[in-house]
Amino acid sequence: MKERLESLGSEALAKIEQAADLKTLDAVRVAYLGRKGKLTAILRGLGQASPDERREIGQRANVLKEELGKRLDARKETLEAAAQQQQAQSEFVDLTLPGRCPRAGSMHVINQICDEIVDIFTQMGFQVAVGPDVETEYYNFDALNTPDDHPARDSHDTFFVKPGVVLRTQTSPVQMRVMEQTPPPVAVVVPGRVYRVDLDATHSPMFVQMEGLLVDKNITFADLKGTLMHFIYTFFGKNTQVRFRPHFFPFTEPSAEVDILWTARDRHTGEVKSKWLEILGCGMVHPEVFRYASYDYEAYSGYAFGLGIDRIAMVRHAISSITHLYENDLRFLEQF
Amino acid sequence: MLISYNWLKELITLDVAPDELAERMTMLGLEIESVAEPGKDINDVYVGHILDIQPHPDADKLVVCKTDVGKGEPLQIVCGAANMKPGDKVPTAIDGATLPGGFRIGRRKMRGLESCGMMCSARELNLGEDHAGLMILPPDMPLGQDIRQALGLDDVVFEIEVTPNRGDWACMIGVARELAAYYGVELRVPDIDIRESGDAAAAWSSVTIEDAELCPRYAGRILRNVVVKPSPPWMCARLVAAGQRPINNVVDITNYVLLETGHPLHAFDYDKLAENRIVVRRARAGESITTLDGEPRPLNEKMLVIADAKQPQAVAGVMGGADSEVDDGSRHIFLESAYFNPRSIRATARDLGLVTEAAQHFQRGADPEMVVYAINRAAMLMQQLADAEVAPGILDEYPNPQQGRQVTLRFDRARQLLGADVPPAKQQEIITGLGFEPQQCDTVSCTVVTPSWRHDVSHEADLIEEVARHYGYDKIPSTMPPVRQTESVFAPMEKRVRALRQFLVAQGLSEAVNWSFGNVENETKSGMTVNTANMVALQNPLSENYAGMRTTLLPALYATAAYNHKRGARGVAIFEIGPVYHAVDNETLPEEPLYLGILVNGVTPGQWAQPERAVDFYDIKGLLEIVFRFAGREAELEPVDCDAFQPSQSALVKVRKHQYGYVGKTAPAVARAFDLPDNTYALELNLSKLLAAPAPVPQFEDIPQFPPSLRDLAVVVERDVTAAQLIKTVKEAGGALLKGVEIFDVYSGKPLPPDKKSIALSLVFQSPERTLTDKDTQKTLERIIKRLQKQCGAELR
Repeated sequence: MKERLESLGSEALAKIEQAADLKTLDAVRVAYLGRKGKLTAILRGLGQASPDERREIGQRANVLKEELGKRLDARKETLEAAAQQQQAQSEFVDLTLPGRCPRAGSMHVINQICDEIVDIFTQMGFQVAVGPDVETEYYNFDALNTPDDHPARDSHDTFFVKPGVVLRTQTSPVQMRVMEQTPPPVAVVVPGRVYRVDLDATHSPMFVQMEGLLVDKNITFADLKGTLMHFIYTFFGKNTQVRFRPHFFPFTEPSAEVDILWTARDRHTGEVKSKWLEILGCGMVHPEVFRYASYDYEAYSGYAFGLGIDRIAMVRHAISSITHLYENDLRFLEQF
Repeated sequence: MLISYNWLKELITLDVAPDELAERMTMLGLEIESVAEPGKDINDVYVGHILDIQPHPDADKLVVCKTDVGKGEPLQIVCGAANMKPGDKVPTAIDGATLPGGFRIGRRKMRGLESCGMMCSARELNLGEDHAGLMILPPDMPLGQDIRQALGLDDVVFEIEVTPNRGDWACMIGVARELAAYYGVELRVPDIDIRESGDAAAAWSSVTIEDAELCPRYAGRILRNVVVKPSPPWMCARLVAAGQRPINNVVDITNYVLLETGHPLHAFDYDKLAENRIVVRRARAGESITTLDGEPRPLNEKMLVIADAKQPQAVAGVMGGADSEVDDGSRHIFLESAYFNPRSIRATARDLGLVTEAAQHFQRGADPEMVVYAINRAAMLMQQLADAEVAPGILDEYPNPQQGRQVTLRFDRARQLLGADVPPAKQQEIITGLGFEPQQCDTVSCTVVTPSWRHDVSHEADLIEEVARHYGYDKIPSTMPPVRQTESVFAPMEKRVRALRQFLVAQGLSEAVNWSFGNVENETKSGMTVNTANMVALQNPLSENYAGMRTTLLPALYATAAYNHKRGARGVAIFEIGPVYHAVDNETLPEEPLYLGILVNGVTPGQWAQPERAVDFYDIKGLLEIVFRFAGREAELEPVDCDAFQPSQSALVKVRKHQYGYVGKTAPAVARAFDLPDNTYALELNLSKLLAAPAPVPQFEDIPQFPPSLRDLAVVVERDVTAAQLIKTVKEAGGALLKGVEIFDVYSGKPLPPDKKSIALSLVFQSPERTLTDKDTQKTLERIIKRLQKQCGAELR
């Protein structure tokens, strides 16, 4: 009995090690440990043996059973690991092949920038307003303290539609349209198309501006600075150097232009240079504008600002000519 | 306007370096466009004196000069210029000299003869474009002087942009005055020193102002026996630094005084004035004048002229007349210094299409109190530099002296508006330092009278700006205001338009932004119905291509697609969201609805895992569907026959019978006209209509608890039976248990007869109350099949 048990043990162990796959291994398990297995048969046959023999053989058989069980588990683990590895190898993919994805669209860079700037101001509490592109001279000039013989009109190169009607040269007329609609407080930003008779590498007859207007009690020039600094830090980065310098606009007093110190690599020479770039005009709403809006200049004050979206797009993305913006070359559009 | 640093230093004491001064000027509102150091790259160039000129023995076009530069022996210089003669003084670069642009000058042989330097043209010294010949210097320039000193090139020149409100800055004195106020130093205006002689001016001439509104002040002086000759080097240097070319002493003096005082002067040839007198009046009907540029110009009764006893001799403040021009033969001069109404000058200059330096000064508002100083300064220079005998007295007509405006500055208001605690004393110091005359000042406010040169100040806010400028914008703190809103909503659609834009980009479309211009021809070419009366026309368009405002987005989208095809694109998928413009009868302004245009054509981009394919009608229709799903609306398509689209593949897009736009295949003729592939598809929708109503808010529906039962069905029908008909029939027959029906395949071709097609439908049956049995579904399915056979002539496949 003892010898049979021993040879059975070594025979089973050898078969376990030889099993090349999980199926064979399972057959080995059934052949030895199954209900009709060889080891099971020995254990079952113990009934005919003497009590001493039964104890000794029984003990040995149980040890062997346990041993075989462990070996089977270990072998199973090894074979499973091998099987997994093999599957992985057979399912190899080239990680560098491009993935399957829908056609990539692109939003026009001008609108991306508009959206980004609108978000900054709406988070501060401003809301968006819009106004017509074809505008009366009254809203575009007169109500903005720019009467017919004002020299500031010279610089605007206005498109005329008919007497008293122009293509707006700025988004500022929406200031007056908004103030006419509602008493203070008002806080709006106004993105929109504007037009001037001008066409070269830096001028497009149509371009995009964004106006801002805030009127309430006790609004100060310091508030104007704070608001625009917040915008600039958010949009251009918090270490941006900013300067406010005096300027002239007919509809603000005091007025300022805002420059940022911009560092860029020259496309041709490769030289890295910093220079002050004008990005917006602003100021405190002029008393004459309040008069046109029937706002009380003593009780309220306000500020206004105007951003050139094209210019900001060109600065931020190093776009070399404004013509790219409206040519709609897909090779341009898809870069943004 | 060019501002010379050296000149400024003569008018005020400045102990700041040029770069610091530039920064300060910027922060005061004098915007610096550029800073130039004209003499920076020039070394070893001197005032040379040409002693002798001989032809070059071996070259026709060269000459050999002996030029003295005051350093030892005269130099032999071979030269290609021809405009000089012995005795001329010219800038001469010696061996080792450098010129702008890094050029080095050395000894070299030219056609066999040694040349020991170079004589320079104006362009070689960066003093202008003239390189036709040598720069001939005034004869009294000191021989051997460094050219940088001789021409005032050892200077820093600031180019400033003068804003339209500050005409007073358009001169040296004006800029110096601003800086004097800032630095708290004295402005040193040159003293007037004239020795008058002979008969009084009044005996020689007279001035009559007939329209004192257009000409509040007019002053004249009589200068006799003027000798016209070149100006001295110091004045030439100043003019060059200011960007002007010296001409002769008389012209140069008026230009010089203009640069210095900002006051345009005009010199008439006294002998050419009828009756030797001046009448300032409006032009008479039918009058005309030939101006200094030789152009005859018709005048009208709105224009102010300076006339003699008979006829206009100058367009006041704009340009002189040719008849009374000072020339080499002139002996006596009537010198004019006047103050004209800015509006009148502006209108006249505009009507005549004449942009002159004088007009620009006058239309921004000159200084009426500068009239006399300017004429005296010029007379003094004429005496010094043109040997003029100055007749005693000024013919000064000033019927209604201009008064300054009274403006009150409340110190608290300034602090409140600026948000900066500028002490009252500081505020007062700033405005009085700028020349505002205090009338009544206390601890609360200060009432001042504006100085004669400040036409821009009339409100308290203007004074507050003065305080802010000189206090320093950089010293004003930054604070965040509380932002309060009104109840009004100014752009209710804005957010949805923006979301739609992002949504379309996510569908693989690229966004185009086209100019809003349009023209009838192009719009007609696109097949869109153009009502020319509806189009907003421009009076001064850039070109015929942009003659008006677009009424449709499609022509520009077609042009954009064609542009990209020409550059290699095989398929284009673009959209634009933007306004179009429709003129409305009896309305001042047109309607500007927001439109959406989409164009897809060619092939979709392919890659290794996704083969490319040709775009077809269902691509554009899919886009239409998702736009409507986005808007929460249901589109109704109605077949349409129009020039813009292929009739069999296009439709009007309607919502509840209202037309919202078009969708379809671009008509082949249109595609050809725009140079586009035949398979071009487009849609155009009125977004203002589509997004006017908010999208319906989705309401929750119970999630079914019992499993659905799925059945597929394939039927063969006539080709003209539509999918919509089949689905409608299925839905009607399906009753409550039919949860959904979709088309999953459409097939035509063999083995089907040519007039038939097969459509495969997938049906979903489901009950909210129980699990359906085969019997339930089978019964409904049979009903559906029967109905399809009866109503659509369908045969089961």
